[in-house]
Amino acid sequence: MHTNPKAVIAAAVLMLTGMLYPSQPCHASDEYDAIEIVTIDVLADLYKPVVFNHQWHTKLAPCKDCHHHTTGRQDMDPNCIRCHANSKEATSVACSSCHSSKQFYPEQLNETRNPTLYHIDKPGLKGAYHLSCVPCHVKKNAPSHCEGCHALTDAGKQYFHLNKQAAPGKTKGSHAQ
Amino acid sequence: MRNFINNTPEIPIASHHKPDGTAWSLKEKLWLGLSRQDYKDQFLRNPVNWVLIAIFAIGVPLILQRYFAGLGSITHASDDYPWGLFLGFGLFGMVPLSASGFLLGTTVEIFGRKDFIPIERLALLNGLLGYFFAVVYLEVDLGMPWRLYYPMVVSLGPAAVLFLVAWHVATYLSVQIAEVSSAYFEWIGWLKGKRFIKSIAVGLTISGIILSTLHQGALGALFTYAPGKVHPLWFSANFQWVHFFCSAIFAGLSMVIVASTLCKNHLTWRCDERFLKNVDTLTLGLAKGCALAMITYLVIKLVGVAHDNDWAYLLTGWGQYFLLELGVAVVLPMFMFAYGVKNHKVSLVRWAALISVLGIVWNRLNTSMICFNWRIYQEIPHWKEVWVTITVFALYFIVYRFILYRLPILYQWQDNK
Amino acid sequence: MNKAFNRRGFLQGSLAGAAVATVSLAKPTEASTFEGYPDSIGVLVDLSRCIGCRSCEAACNKEQNLPAPALPFNDFSVFDELLHGQKRRPDETRYTVVNRYEIPGREHPLFRKIQCNHCLEPACLTSCFVNAYTKTPEGAVIYNADVCVGCRTCMVACPFYIPAFRYSSAFHPRIMKCIFCYDTRLTKGKPPACVESCPQEAMTFGRRTDLLEIGRQRIRENAGTYVDHIYGEHEAGGTAWMYISPAPFEQAGFDTTVPKEPILNYVKDFLSIVPMVLTIWPALFAGFHLLATRKEKLEQQKKNEGEV
Repeated sequence: MHTNPKAVIAAAVLMLTGMLYPSQPCHASDEYDAIEIVTIDVLADLYKPVVFNHQWHTKLAPCKDCHHHTTGRQDMDPNCIRCHANSKEATSVACSSCHSSKQFYPEQLNETRNPTLYHIDKPGLKGAYHLSCVPCHVKKNAPSHCEGCHALTDAGKQYFHLNKQAAPGKTKGSHAQ
Repeated sequence: MRNFINNTPEIPIASHHKPDGTAWSLKEKLWLGLSRQDYKDQFLRNPVNWVLIAIFAIGVPLILQRYFAGLGSITHASDDYPWGLFLGFGLFGMVPLSASGFLLGTTVEIFGRKDFIPIERLALLNGLLGYFFAVVYLEVDLGMPWRLYYPMVVSLGPAAVLFLVAWHVATYLSVQIAEVSSAYFEWIGWLKGKRFIKSIAVGLTISGIILSTLHQGALGALFTYAPGKVHPLWFSANFQWVHFFCSAIFAGLSMVIVASTLCKNHLTWRCDERFLKNVDTLTLGLAKGCALAMITYLVIKLVGVAHDNDWAYLLTGWGQYFLLELGVAVVLPMFMFAYGVKNHKVSLVRWAALISVLGIVWNRLNTSMICFNWRIYQEIPHWKEVWVTITVFALYFIVYRFILYRLPILYQWQDNK
Repeated sequence: MNKAFNRRGFLQGSLAGAAVATVSLAKPTEASTFEGYPDSIGVLVDLSRCIGCRSCEAACNKEQNLPAPALPFNDFSVFDELLHGQKRRPDETRYTVVNRYEIPGREHPLFRKIQCNHCLEPACLTSCFVNAYTKTPEGAVIYNADVCVGCRTCMVACPFYIPAFRYSSAFHPRIMKCIFCYDTRLTKGKPPACVESCPQEAMTFGRRTDLLEIGRQRIRENAGTYVDHIYGEHEAGGTAWMYISPAPFEQAGFDTTVPKEPILNYVKDFLSIVPMVLTIWPALFAGFHLLATRKEKLEQQKKNEGEV
């Protein structure tokens, strides 16, 4: 699949502007500060953009279910606390500020080489989204098959060889956790 | 043929000259001294030929289908069973049955057992044709048969076992052509060639032993590439090549017994006194060799089981099948051979040889197909694959018979001192 | 003149000496056993992440220009397909397939992606008598259809049942097998198409040594989630593609009986007897011949003497 870097940046900027107040880094963010709508169109060639209603999701689950941390708040995950107990406040909560949309390219591979690096197993942006979204969607009986969130474009239909048989939206039996 | 021989004193041809002193032309030799009409009559009168015609009527179109529509059109195109009957029978079965050439060559030329000379040429021819048709089967089976020579000149992979097989079979085939060519030289009357072959006979035979040891063993070693796929009872990383080599010894000898029996009974007109008088004694001599090779094989087969500690498998269904194979294909003929040799029961020995020939084919099919992929499922070949296998075998039979009719294999050429 | 000659001789000698020195210096650094290319690339597949969306199959099909599938790639009835009681496997139309495995005691099934595991010492390569296979320093096991004869020994040798043969073609048959997107992506620093297409990042692409670290970290830090084993670390002598699984591997269709050493090790016993036969047999049998025919020769000699 081809990622469109521009689209990723656009999404990231959108999230950043909605979530961050760089001028006031000490101010802790909470769900009331959250951005309302995020349009994810990284894979816009195969799938139509996903309109993610972030604000609605903030009412369904606490921030920490999806975000490792919010700005200005102490990390609570025991695994993270091992190192980050005394870390400075995070300045960003956007997924894309840590999770790269350009995963597994030489730059990233070389980064993994660093023997002092703990985060050698950091998913890319696409992976982070899906790994975060899918299990919850399965648990809450929200749409969990591909086309439940991603409508195929014509290119996508061709890609999956749907031309032969008009059977879009066939659901998967179930998901792994 | 029998009728013609009774009516015509000058045939079968066994010398360059007719009784009246005129020379046979090569054409006449080819037509067995018969007129076209007579040749046709004797051909059509033989019921075996009708069976052959029936086989070819269906088999030849199938072979054409294989070459123009791909291997997948006549086989099940299995990716799990890349080797089917063409190799399972044609290569892995035919090659041990063709060990006769080097075995009798060794007996006569190296160990100086001149008493085996009457049957030596039959054994050499049997070896040559067996190998040649193993290559024919290979040409049916190879994905790109037109690249047969690639491992020789285009792209070499010398660390592979199959590389060894390819080179050794190719070299050995030429050695065997040289060995059998002396019969051909006699037939066409080129004594110089014959004398030359005789002068290098010992060298040819020794190279034959080396090449045979290695490629008979290598055919077994090919399966050591599939340690998880071949059932442990038919697999032994250490002894696989010894198993294949040792079983090739009694396979080759048994095949000579079977072939000589067929010649004696159905090709009597072509055999000379020397052959007919000696064949029974020689059969017993070969049988002795068979029995010895079989007991050796049995022992190393058990050593193989013991070495890999496969005893537990003997209690499973596969184990019973293994014991059945050993019992029917080795132990039974072994006792028949031993009893036959001791009590001079030649016909018992001949039946034992037939069992042992079929048994060795069974063993090779077990290793390459039936007990291959024993963890997953058993492949049953497509009927077209079976038919093509039979067709190639029929071709083998025809060529074999064609040569026996003509060249001095079963008889001695009269005037070539 | 003598002096000039000496000088030239000296120069030649020193050049030769230098060459020898280089060679003898180079020698000790060569290991007697090959442990794989140090920086080779691999992929770690995490069965707990795969959701069976078959995006990787679609991506592979497009990247490698493979024939159109019988059913669309988002038709999940293929998971129920059985041939001879076997789930789907790579064949001449597909380099990779995803299969579904119901695991007793687990709420959700597991999905396993199958493709060439790109062994460190590939059985296909070592069994090929025309050198059609190459293990590249990047880690891919690639195939050269131009020299292949179609003997299909590689298919017999592969412990993972990966190479498939294009049986359907009479004139252009060839082995069909995943090549790690070697020419189109791997050499350009890109991950293979399947890896890039995966929404769940079930496949982690990286240096094999790093992947082992990552795999161990994932097993350790998600205590109880995974079986403590990286399939492919040692299987068949080590593979570039490796798997971690939350359920015992055999339940997810893995062959756990695959030897933990290169397949070639099983063949070495035979290969080692070859030089022995080649060198000892001629002398041995020539000796037999002389012994066996000695009497005959003596008689011949006697006869000749008598005649004289």
